[in-house]
Formats: sequence, C-alpha cells, structure tokens
Amino acid sequence: MGQAHGGGLNRKGSPDDRKQDDKKEKKFEPAAPPTRVGRRQRKQKGPEAAARLPVVTPLTKCKLRLLKLERIKDYLLMEEEFVSNQERLKPQEDKNEEDRSKVDDLRGSPMSVGNLEEIIDENHAIVSSSVGPEYYVNILSFVDKDQLEPGCAILMHNKVLSVVGLLQDEVDPMVSVMKVEKAPLESYADIGGLDAQIQEIKEAVELPLTHPELYEDIGIKPPKGVILYGEPGTGKTLLAKAVANSTSATFLRVVGSELIQKYLGDGPKLVRELFRVADDLSPSIVFIDEIDAVGTKRYDAHSGGEREIQRTMLELLNQLDGFDARGDVKVILATNRIDSLDPALLRPGRIDRKIEFPLPDIKTRRRIFQIHTARMTLADDVNLEEFVMTKDEFSGADIKAICTEAGLLALRERRMKVTQIDFKKAKEKVMFKKKEGVPEGLYM
Amino acid sequence: MAPAQNGHVEQPAPPKVPSKDPKKTKDEKKEEDLSEEDLALKQQLELYVERVQDVDPGVQKLALESMRQEIRTATSSMTSVPKPLKFLRPHYGTLKAYYETMEDSDVKNYLADILSVLALTMSAEGERESLKFRLLGSKGDIGSWGHEYVRNHAGEIAQEYQKRQMEEAHVDDLMDLVQQIVSFHVKHNAEPEAVDLLMEVEELDMLTDHIDATNYKRTCLYLTSFASYVPGPDDMLVLDIAYSIYTKFGEYTNALRVALCMHNLQYVKAIFTACVDPLQKKQLCYILARQGVTLELDDEMTNGNEEQRELLQEIINNIKLSEGFLTLARDLEIMESKSPEDIYKAHLIDGRASAGASVDSARQNLAGTFVNAFVNAGFGQDKLMTAATESSSGGNTGNWLFKNKEHGKASAVASLGLILLWDVDAGLTQIDKYFSSNDNHAIAGALLAVGIVNCGIQNECDPAYALLAEYVSKDESNIRIGAIMGLGLAYAGSQKEEVLRLLSPILTDSKVPIDVIAFTAISLGLIYVGSCNDEVAQSIIIALMERSDSELGEPLTRFLCLGLGLLYLGKQEKVDATLEVAKTFNEKISRYCQVTLESCAYAGTGNVLKVQSLLGLCAEHLEKGESHQAPAVIGIAMVAMAEELGLEMAIRSLEHLLQYGEQNIRRSVPLALGLLSISNPKVNVMDTLSRLSHDTDSEVAMAATLALGLIGAGTNNARIAGMLRNLSSYYYKDPSLLFCVRIAQGLVHLGKGLLTLNPYHSDRFLLSHSALAGIITLLHSCLDMKSIILGKYHYVLYFLVLAMQPRMLLTVDENLKPLSIPVRVGQAVDVVGQAGRPKTITGFQTHTTPVLLATGDRAELATEKYIPLSSVLEGFVILKENPDYQHDNRTS
Repeated sequence: MGQAHGGGLNRKGSPDDRKQDDKKEKKFEPAAPPTRVGRRQRKQKGPEAAARLPVVTPLTKCKLRLLKLERIKDYLLMEEEFVSNQERLKPQEDKNEEDRSKVDDLRGSPMSVGNLEEIIDENHAIVSSSVGPEYYVNILSFVDKDQLEPGCAILMHNKVLSVVGLLQDEVDPMVSVMKVEKAPLESYADIGGLDAQIQEIKEAVELPLTHPELYEDIGIKPPKGVILYGEPGTGKTLLAKAVANSTSATFLRVVGSELIQKYLGDGPKLVRELFRVADDLSPSIVFIDEIDAVGTKRYDAHSGGEREIQRTMLELLNQLDGFDARGDVKVILATNRIDSLDPALLRPGRIDRKIEFPLPDIKTRRRIFQIHTARMTLADDVNLEEFVMTKDEFSGADIKAICTEAGLLALRERRMKVTQIDFKKAKEKVMFKKKEGVPEGLYM
Repeated sequence: MAPAQNGHVEQPAPPKVPSKDPKKTKDEKKEEDLSEEDLALKQQLELYVERVQDVDPGVQKLALESMRQEIRTATSSMTSVPKPLKFLRPHYGTLKAYYETMEDSDVKNYLADILSVLALTMSAEGERESLKFRLLGSKGDIGSWGHEYVRNHAGEIAQEYQKRQMEEAHVDDLMDLVQQIVSFHVKHNAEPEAVDLLMEVEELDMLTDHIDATNYKRTCLYLTSFASYVPGPDDMLVLDIAYSIYTKFGEYTNALRVALCMHNLQYVKAIFTACVDPLQKKQLCYILARQGVTLELDDEMTNGNEEQRELLQEIINNIKLSEGFLTLARDLEIMESKSPEDIYKAHLIDGRASAGASVDSARQNLAGTFVNAFVNAGFGQDKLMTAATESSSGGNTGNWLFKNKEHGKASAVASLGLILLWDVDAGLTQIDKYFSSNDNHAIAGALLAVGIVNCGIQNECDPAYALLAEYVSKDESNIRIGAIMGLGLAYAGSQKEEVLRLLSPILTDSKVPIDVIAFTAISLGLIYVGSCNDEVAQSIIIALMERSDSELGEPLTRFLCLGLGLLYLGKQEKVDATLEVAKTFNEKISRYCQVTLESCAYAGTGNVLKVQSLLGLCAEHLEKGESHQAPAVIGIAMVAMAEELGLEMAIRSLEHLLQYGEQNIRRSVPLALGLLSISNPKVNVMDTLSRLSHDTDSEVAMAATLALGLIGAGTNNARIAGMLRNLSSYYYKDPSLLFCVRIAQGLVHLGKGLLTLNPYHSDRFLLSHSALAGIITLLHSCLDMKSIILGKYHYVLYFLVLAMQPRMLLTVDENLKPLSIPVRVGQAVDVVGQAGRPKTITGFQTHTTPVLLATGDRAELATEKYIPLSSVLEGFVILKENPDYQHDNRTS
C-alpha cells in the first residue's frame, strides 16, 4: 500500500480537527484511502463484477447442474424480493435524484476533457488538457478513484480544472466499426456444395459457443480457431458471411490490411483492442479476411514498415494463444495463400483446423449454377449441363460471373430471356479474362 | 415444467434442432436439389416402406432388416440429422398406421423398434411415442441404437414414471428398461446420467448392483456433491447409497466421511468393525480426531486387541496433535516466538502512529496479550508469558501479567493456555503456579487456561474436570466464569454427563448473577452441541423464564439464547418444539431467541427457505429497541455457508442488506461476511470489509475490522496485514477501534500462519460442529461489542480456540513417524461429472511434507512410491509403501 505516504501528506491535521469538532453535529472524516492503487482493474467480462454469478460446474447437462442453477435462481429471486420490498418501503429514487443533481452542480457545466498525467495522492493529480500546460488539481471525492489510472481520459471542471469524472468507454473507434451490426443476407442455403467445410466450421466455431458441454462430455478442449484457404472465388468469405448470418454471437470482421497502421505501435495496439473488445462482448467470433496481409513468413526486414507489420503479426500470435486465456472468442482466418503464412500462426493451439476450399467439382458446379440461375429467366434452349460438364476450371465466383455476364448480354439486346448463346459467349469472355488474355482453347 | 425436472435427458441432441424446423416449403424445395446418392437412398427407403406393407412376412422382415441396417450404419456428423431418418420422416405416419393394423408377430415387434427410433425425431413433445413403441417392441439391446436414443428414453421414462405415479399405475415394465439404461450408462462413462435417471424413478438402491471397481469413485463423487443440493430427506438417501458403495469396495476412509456427514454413529461403528487392516484403522481414527468425534472403542471394533485399542484411542483423543503441529513448525523453521511488535510492524507505518502508544496502556497491553496468544498459539513458547519463566530473573514473570489490570489479568493468564494449546502435560505444569495466586482474576485465568489447553483433547486422566470442578461452586463470580468456560472449551462436543450434573444446578439457581448463568448456558451448549439434549434445554428455558425483566435486558442474556440454539446446531426441524416454547418468553428476548434458535438449527444446511425467511426479517424497518435482526443477518451466513454457490450468492445478498439496511443490520453484516469466508481471504470480501472499516459508524467499523481478521485468520495474508496497519495509523486515537485492529492483526497471524479457523474440512465436505459453535459464539458477542469484548468479558475471544486447527498435511509412515515425501499442492478443481481422469488441482507447486494447505487448496502425492490410506490429503495421512513401485533410474 504505497498510498500510505501520500495519505499522510494531505490529511495532515485532519485528525486534530476531528478532536475539536467532536462536539459539533457533523465531524469531518477523512476519506477512506482507495482499496487499490496502480493499474486499473481489468474490466470484468460482460456485466459488472458485482452482478456476476458464480460459475457452475460441471458443464455436462445433469441433474447436479440443474440443481445448482436452481439454487442460484432461488437466491436471485430472494434478492429481487428483498430489493423490491425495500424500494416499496423506502423509495431511494428521489434521494438518488437529489444526490445526482448535487453532483451535477459540483461538476459544473460545461466540462472539458483532459488527460490524467499522474496521481499525486488520493485527491490530487496532475492533469493536462489538449491545449496548454499541465496543472496540479484536486480530484473530487465522488470520482471513483479505483478506476483512475495515469493516461486515462478524464472530465475536468471548466474553471478550476479539478477532476470531476472520467470517461469510461475507451474502445477504439476503429474497433467498434468492425462489429457487424447488421447480419449479412447470405445464409448457409446460399452456398453450393461445401458440405464438409460447413460441417467443419460449424463444429469448430458455432458448437463450442452454443454447446460447450458436448466437448466437456468427451473431455477435449474445443478448437480455438480455423483458417479457410483455397483458390480465389471458392467461397471463403461467403462461408464467413453465412456464419455471421446464422450466429447470435458478436461477429467482428477485419481485413488483414486494416491492421497495418500509419504510426509505430498502432497496429499491435489495434489487434489488442480488437481482442479485448471481443473478450468483453463474448461469446464472439473474430473474422480476419486476407490474413496474408500481416501474416506472411518472418524474414530479415529492412524497412521499418515491414518490421511493423511483423510486430503486428507477433501481437496477433500472442492474442491467439498467448498467456491470457481467451474465453469464448473464436477466430476465423481466411487467405488464398496459405503457403506464405508464418508457420507459427498455423500451429495447433492457435489455429486448430485448416479447412481447404477446393475448386468446385461437377456436382457442386451444378448446384452453384442452380443457385445463380434460380432467379433468372432462362430461354428453353438453355442447357446448363454443357457448362457443368466442361473441363475448364471454374471457381464459384467464375460461375457467378458467367451468369451475370450472360444476363448482361441479354440485357444489351433487350431480350427478356437469357439464351444458350448468351451463356456461351459469357463463358468465353470470363475464361478469356481469367486466363489473362489468352483466348480459350488456343493451345488445345 | 417437464424440461426443468429432467435437465439433460429431456432434449434430443441439440444439433437436431434444425430438423424440427416445421417449414414444409423449405423441405420440399430441398428435395429438388438432392445429390444422386441421396436420391438413391431416398428411393431405396421408400421402397422399404412399401415392402413393409407387403403381405408376405418374409418380404416384410427383409425390408425391416435392411431399414434397420440403413439407420444403424448412418454415420453422420453431430451437426445434422442422419439422412435415413430424414428421408423416413414423411413415412412415419404411414408406418404407424400400418402398425396398428398388423397382427402380433415378430415382424410387428421389429416394426415397433424402427418406429421407436423414428419417434425420436418425429413424435410431438410430450407424447413419449418412442417409449411406447420401445415397450411394444422386441426389447433388444438398447445401446445398439446409439447414445442419443438411450438418453431420449431416459427422459421419457422420467416423465412416464411421474404420470404413472399420479395415476398409481404399475411401473414394472419401465423398471426393466431402467435397468437396461442404467447398465448402459454405467458402462459408457455416464454415471451421472445413470444416477439422475434412478433419482427420477426413486430407485437409487439399484445403483449398487451396477457399479464396479472402475467407476465407483466417480459415482460416489457425484453422489456426495449431489447431496448438498438435494432437499431433505433425499440428501440422506443419496449419502446412504454413497456410503454403501464405499463400504462395498472397501473404501473405508471415504465411507467414514460420508457417515460423519450423516451424523450416523451406527455407521461409524460398523466401519470400524468391518475394517480389518490395523493401519487403515489408524487412518480412520485420524479422521475422527479431526472431526472431533469422541468415540469409545470397544473390543468388537478392535478385534479384541487391547494394545491396538489403546493406540487407536490415543489417536482419536488427539494426544499427538501438539507433537504433529510442532513437527510442522520445526520443519518450516518458525519455532522462534514472535512478540506483538513483530506483528504490528510499526516501522512500516509513517511517523505519527508510534506516538499513539500512550493512549490507553491497559487496553494496549490487553491487546498485546491477545495478539501474543494468537500468534504463538500451540507453539509452547512466547516472549511475554513463558519466556520469562525460563530466564533466571523470576520477577519478570509478573511483569507482563501485572501490566494488565484486573480482569485483564484473567485474559493474560488464559493466554498461557492458548500458547500451550493441545500440550496437556507441559501446559498444566506451567499453569499450575497461578492457582496459588491470591488474585482472583489470575485464578480465573488459570482455570480458563486449563480448559483451553484441553480443547479438543481427551486425556485419560481427565485433568480438566478434576481441576475445574471444585471451582465451579466458588463464590467469586469471575472464578466461576473461568471454571465454567474452561469446562465448556475442554469438553465441547463430548456430551460429558458429569459436567452436566455439575453445571445444570447453576442454571436453575435464581440467586446466581446473570453473567455466570450466561457462560454456563454457553458451556453446556458447547458440550452438548447438536445433541438436542432435553435436560439442558429445559434448564436453559427455565433460566430464561425466571429471570427478571431488567436482567433479561443485559447484553449477556444473548448467551442464554445462543446456548439453547447450540443444542440444536444443524438439527433442522428437531428445534420446532423449543421454538414454540421460545415464543412464550419475555417479549424482550423472545424474538431474539427464536431467530437464534432457527438460525442455529439450520446452520450448515444451505436451506434456501430459511435464508429467505431470515432475509425477510431483515427487510423490516423496525422501531427502536428490537434486536433480532442482527442474529438474523448472522443466521443467513450460517445457513448459506454450506456450499460454495450459496456462499457466494449470500455475499451478494449481504451487499443489498448493506445498501438498504438500518444501522443495526449494517453492524452485523461485516460479521456475517467474516463467517462466510472465514480463513479464506477473498478479494471481493476483503474490499467490502476494507470499505466498511472506514465507516462513519464506529460499531460498523469495529465489526468490519474484526471481520478482516477473521477472513485472514491464520493466512499471514500480506494485503490484509497492510490494510490493518493502515487502519492502526488511521485510528490511532480511538482506543476501542485500535483494540479491534490489534486483535485482527493477531488473528491474521494466528499460529504464525499455521492454523485455520475454517469449520469445514476434508475438501469442504465435513463441518465440525464444535468449531462452528465457537465461531458463532464469538460473533454473537460481537453484536454488542462495547459491553462484551470492549468491556470486561474480552476473554470470549478464546471461544475461537474451538475452531483452531492446523492447516497442514503431515504424512506419517506405518509406525506413525513423520515421513517427508514430495507432494503437489494447488488450487482444487471441481471434477465432478467430468470425463476421463481430469486433474484435480491446478497451478500446483511441489513441496515436501509437511506442508501448509490454504482454503481451497488440495494436495496430491508427487511420488508413486507410497500409497496414501486416505483419499483426501489433509491433516495426518498414513502412507504405506507401494508394492508395485519400481525405481526409475532414468529420471533420478
């Protein structure tokens, strides 16, 4: 308790005052020293610490668990009964209202935002505002001193600059935009084929969040994360969207390139923030697309920029499987260049499952064609089988491109139906583009 | 509601949820885009369905056979419904209709089987068709249809059973199925499920037939942790089964624990008779000694071996406790005695505090006495009381003693008892000289010291009774109190008839002053703790009835009520009759008495209804003068401390009490918190108490300070020690609060950190009643701090000695000599109902015995060389050599 020294300083004389004031109605009591000094308590997961309930083991569904949960429920009901009784007998709201307005008066208005530089003792600190010099000021007694830590954003009185409050929410705005608020429209039904991949991702990502007891039953730890890899256009991002669509967990999505920041240290900080937010909002799923932007193999980097990127990756490594246990946070990575990724990133424990997305086979191709043509008006002569059975390598994205292209061709000629010829032309065009300008069939 | 009752069994596997989706349109749409194999499978199955309805039984049978084949071989992921089942869904209705028209035959039974499986996903909730068809079917091996099928059945059986119980129909056919399912579960590592099912059908006895040597441990673990959450009288039933399983497999130490938990002395004796291994018996005796059970071994229990009987009796009587404790202390090299100044660590506080020493020196010295006693408890030497006698200058002895005033001397002499705790021979020699003192207070202290030394120990010569009996009838009331309290401490829980004869006349004598009566009631309460003894109860009731109004207003009257309550500690509804009588008492004391009785009777039961009623009492806002809310707050803690969950939830509830409660409630909340996490410094409790210790109301602050001492008792917790140091400088001008801070500091360093006050032991499974009684006696006296602890009855602090136990693991060899072996000590993990052989401790460190165990710690042997005779490694544990052990050269 290093605070004791400081405590002595500013309380000087107060006990003597007390002696003299004893006879008066209200005697001055020096404020209690804060329970803890130094770094702020790490915010507890989810709701506030006081409202947290004890953990119930075992996770397996059994009567013991049921009884334990019921026990907790009983106590909560009693609390509810007690509190509501008390509120009825002795309403606290008016009193609270009064107190709050008093505090508001003390705070004054307008307030300004500043930065806490240093805490001198329990009610004095050095602060700085965005402009101008640093000041030695009071901390008002109603500020929660346990939450103060050097470097945090505080509210200051507009004239005397004393600390009147602190800004709680310091989630990086960069991270808050990553949260997927509106679920994407794509669902599992919109994916052609990929049955095995869907099953794997469900087992690795969704089930551990919804049914942890299944894993407990068998006595294994659920996988922490998966990586989706495969040729471009094979549906990696689509599958991630479907996961976001179907899950009720918080879904955070990032693109690897977003993690590269202008200033030194910002990238790793962003990664930390990202995972901290994911932890706060858990259960959650973090989806990092195009991970090769930061996750390439390490080598002797010459430029500061490259080194920074590598540091960002190192932070990512730490967050994936570092010292702090990640609770209900699952990670999905996606890339089309898995061979260039750093092996440390892919080791089991960080990424437990690697899911390959192959080019679609004939069956899948047929399915994808069906999905994309389902809402098109096709002429009677259209025979999709011809395209399905072709030897060319299509990805799912190519098929979509063919269908769109065919529709555009029909549109150009103001036809209401898409014909077989449209499809043929469209296919040639798409394949031409894909083979980088070499017309299809030139070397055959 | 059905799902709530059958927790796990009710729901089909979660992944199947999508299949329940009743969107027909979607289904139809899906059918269009089936792959070829799926289509083929579908057509195949449709064909089977048609063939089943064929006229030819041969074709039927073949079709059913292939259908069964398809269903069984369908391997699917856990995320979707097996395909055959999916395709058969539309045909469920037709098959069912056809089944009704069939004649009885093999084929019909076969079809019933298939329908039973199909009903798993098809039948509407609550119809239990799966079970219906199962009962109609061929009754083959139930496991062959997979785990999910079995689970589903278990759920349906539970519902069906309840329904039939209501209708009083017979349940024999269900029982056959239950047999099958239970044996399936037990074979497949799912003992909890088997237990759950048997609980539902109220046939737990069946379990013993199915359990074998490989899984009885897991099962019993589940049963025992089950017991604290099942409402009575089912909990006794569950424990009974656990007991019979343990005895069946010769696991006598565990069986004994269960028996002690049930308070069933018959079982305890039966275990002694059944157990033949003399070494094992010694271990049993150690467990009994820790629980503080007084058991006279007879010939039958020791197979007539007299020499052995003596040895065993010696262990039960705790004669070796002091020796073991000193072994621990010597091993940890902390034999050197500490003075109160070593504990205060005044040099760590800045300047002004040291100046405060002159405020009230008598009280300071009294605090010093207690701190000295607590810190050096059990070590047999200290720097204030015993050191002087050894040094040549004889005058020194008196020095510390005479630094205390009047009644302070009593505590000072009594502290000698605490220092020499458990060491009867040495203790009595040192105390003896004070008997000849001409100071009444010193004599009273000496009497008390004799009681303290003998606390928890039964010596053959019975010195405590011999020495104390004659002083009980002296005229000086402080001598009487000393003798009476000494008897209470020495014979707590022993139900010693002679003491009753000696003390009960005092209670009914109307000329005796109230303070003597109060201590008599407490002592009798302690001696007959949890015995429901009618004679004692009657005497106390008479005392309560006959006393005048003004006498009942005395703060010490609470001891009469508490003494009455202690008689019924943990005995639940047996208190009812006395409770009725309590209603007729003088109104001043009646409600206080009722609440005390009720809270004592349900202490350590975790009974939620009682917590509710006590909480209800606290919700009232009273006019001045009523005092029953304070014991109600402590009562909440006493009832809720039974299990971890209730404990944590009770701490939450107490927060609300703090927020809304009146001053009298706020004063007792810290004490309740202290009881809930006694010797277990949880950070959240510590923070709350630290906040309260600066409260503007000095009584709240005092209680919180003392509670800080209680939660840190015997832990040497640096954080609490720091908080208390700050408090001592904060309150340096307030002698009363400073006294409390000093006492708390002494408690934190109790026995130099080797002792614990936690009444729960053996992995938090057993509750020592006399320990709990000691703690609550202190807490009740703290309800009126000013007139009891800060007044002249400060020696009530010595009631804590009942709860003091070394928090050690001492391994001994077959000759009961200490044996040093490596053990791993770490945080205990709840492994109930987990698959495989999970680790029981986490974050462990390896030490060599003897070691200290904190609350929530667990130990396991780090070597294969020895086998412990007790599965719970706490206190004294006998090790025997492992005959299969092979020395591994590579690792050494």
